[in-house]
Amino acid sequence: MKPTAKQVGTGANWPPQEGQIITFKSLSGMETGILEEVRWGLLWRDFILEDGRVIPEHRILGCPKTPVWRKADEVSQDEREEAEARLVSMAEAGLDPWNREQSFWAELNQYLAYTYLRFRQTGHEPPGAAKRIQIKLE
Amino acid sequence: MSPYQESEKEQVWKLLSDAGLVDITLNDFPDRIKEAKHVVMGRLGELLELTTDIQERQSVAYSLGTLRKLETTLQVVACRSTSGGSYKPEK
Repeated sequence: MKPTAKQVGTGANWPPQEGQIITFKSLSGMETGILEEVRWGLLWRDFILEDGRVIPEHRILGCPKTPVWRKADEVSQDEREEAEARLVSMAEAGLDPWNREQSFWAELNQYLAYTYLRFRQTGHEPPGAAKRIQIKLE
Repeated sequence: MSPYQESEKEQVWKLLSDAGLVDITLNDFPDRIKEAKHVVMGRLGELLELTTDIQERQSVAYSLGTLRKLETTLQVVACRSTSGGSYKPEK
């Protein structure tokens, strides 16, 4: 870890700048890393760390309650097809899908959420989603 | 790029959370892909009845193909990881 990296602030200082240390939630608890780049996905921003890990904005400590989102209908056909091609290529290359801090996981998660919103606008609901909402209300 | 308004953002966030699409766990991926395929097939069925929007039909069919490939690949990986009874936990 670079000794010059600064700890990320919250609120008005959001989003953190490149080179800052960010803290994020993982399955094993809180972890830290140095931010290299903030990149837009199909719906939300992913924070790319220097060691290659990819963390969605909403898992980062200090992130506003509702992070910045894009509308599904603003994703162009070219962008969607590029994302689809990348996903298939990563899957076929045998990338480890068990690691949720790698780009395969991050892109797959965004693609499924995007697909849900894209077709929800035309009135289609996945049956499982409706069931989960019902269960929550009971 | 025009982001959502604040209230709209909250609604979308809740919608995706309720649908289990924010931070999907690996064990849930097969179900989420199946659900996505279901909605895509529903839309494709509608489009096949129309003769006008061929471009959208092709685009939806392409997305369905992507989901099928992902589903197949993830199934193979899951089988490989669990063969011999050794379950590989999420990292």
